[in-house]
Amino acid sequence: MANPRSGDFLELVGGIPGLDGRVTDAPVSHGAASQLDTHGTTVIAVKYRDGVLNVGDRRATAGMGVMFDRAEKVLALDDFMLIAISGSFAKALEIVRYLKHAFKYYTRRELQEMSLDGKVSEVSRAIANNLPMALQGIGAFIPIVSAFDPRSNEGRIFFYDGMGARFETTEFAAAGSGSERIRGAFDYIIRTRKPFREMSLEEALRECLILLDIAADLDAATGGFSKVLPVAKGINKDGIFDVDAAQMRQIVAEINPREDVGLANPVV
Amino acid sequence: MSFTPYDWNQAILTRSEYIEERMRGGSPVVGISLPEGVLLVSVHRTQRKIYEIYDRLIFGAIGNQSDIELMRNSAIDFAHREGFQRSPDDVTAQRLVGSILSPAIKKAFGDPFTAPFVFRGLFAEVGEKQTEDSFYALGYDGEYRNENRYSVVSGSYEADNSMLTLLHDNIDLISDRPSAIKLGLEAWGTGKLHARRRVMPLGRDTEEDEEVEILTVEQILKEELAHGKLEVGLLERKTPRESKFRLLSSDELEPVLAEYR
Repeated sequence: MANPRSGDFLELVGGIPGLDGRVTDAPVSHGAASQLDTHGTTVIAVKYRDGVLNVGDRRATAGMGVMFDRAEKVLALDDFMLIAISGSFAKALEIVRYLKHAFKYYTRRELQEMSLDGKVSEVSRAIANNLPMALQGIGAFIPIVSAFDPRSNEGRIFFYDGMGARFETTEFAAAGSGSERIRGAFDYIIRTRKPFREMSLEEALRECLILLDIAADLDAATGGFSKVLPVAKGINKDGIFDVDAAQMRQIVAEINPREDVGLANPVV
Repeated sequence: MSFTPYDWNQAILTRSEYIEERMRGGSPVVGISLPEGVLLVSVHRTQRKIYEIYDRLIFGAIGNQSDIELMRNSAIDFAHREGFQRSPDDVTAQRLVGSILSPAIKKAFGDPFTAPFVFRGLFAEVGEKQTEDSFYALGYDGEYRNENRYSVVSGSYEADNSMLTLLHDNIDLISDRPSAIKLGLEAWGTGKLHARRRVMPLGRDTEEDEEVEILTVEQILKEELAHGKLEVGLLERKTPRESKFRLLSSDELEPVLAEYR
């Protein structure tokens, strides 16, 4: 029962297929991969005055098809940490499940909370271990991790590349197929209006929804909000909260007043 | 070396005596089910006694610190491996105690060539509804008891019985969390009273010594709480937090503690 790396969940479960850095010898087939692998599309994270806001569309695609239009892409890792997922849905959900267990396992075994730095490094490790699979053209995923840091009393946002490099951003991050199309727009908002970190929740939410709308216009795989309301969650000093659906519906209607979005279709 | 059935019997007996002797003076753990969740109540001197095992499981024990730690870690390992590979819903106290820990303890206890576990543990599981709450009290010989509304582990089975009787008679009178903690403390004190009677100086018999009998549960609690710390773990039934477990703060325990100063 001795545990050489005490509190290490990956060691406990003896590795997860595709998550332990082992190269599989399955043949590479990009055509098949795109049909098999359901992808989440655009997610956005911005800092606002009291913390961090995450917004994402609800579409999940496989190849040219829409697999699901109510996908949850912003998930809680613990009481003060959100992960917004893009890329392979299967892999991302498995890794989210892995991370939640890994954090709780560490806390319960070691009788202390894993540090924020330890947690974001664990995300890096999961991405790095997934690299062999990603190189075979299947299962690549890129998350954005948002957290409220009680030590500095502010929201923090980390984004990653496909090899697991971790970057901390001062203002915003976006991932997924629509994200490249709107990256410049974030900077435009910061320069011409004001930094996101100075915005109220409502102001930041409005900008994010407009950005998501633009991403949906420019990227075929991004769902936007013409049918289903996007997912929006935040973290402040009290923990994670869901953005009020009525408030979001109101803003959506104002952004695009010609259409009765969200009003004709009851939104779940 | 030959090993006869007689030797085996003798070895088991010696082991029981050894284990019970080691645990006799220890601090009991009391479990109580409430509408808001399940509580584990104990008093400690130095080491913490109540631990989170998994989303719906907590644990408190009496015995050797190293044995308690081994059990705690084994339980956490099983729960997390199972919860990840199958589902958190499949991690239950029944499975953990009945098919994982109990056989392992029994094996160690029955094997005269390994050290037995000096351990009795109380596992508490919170259900969706209060009627689904359950407690598993696991002994050093692998035997376990399953109860729904309350349970205990203490240094001896006699102490267990007195504590359980007290809980049985008063469980319907508790109305809220403070009254449940108070009942838990009274049960704890009852167990401690037994332990004190048993740990007598050599050559004196409890039944004949009237001086010791004078101590009441309340006196014992006053004395123990002056030196020790009340520890109450709550596993909440409904909470938006990721973890349902928390140790109650001293502010939350103050109303109960004030009665014993």
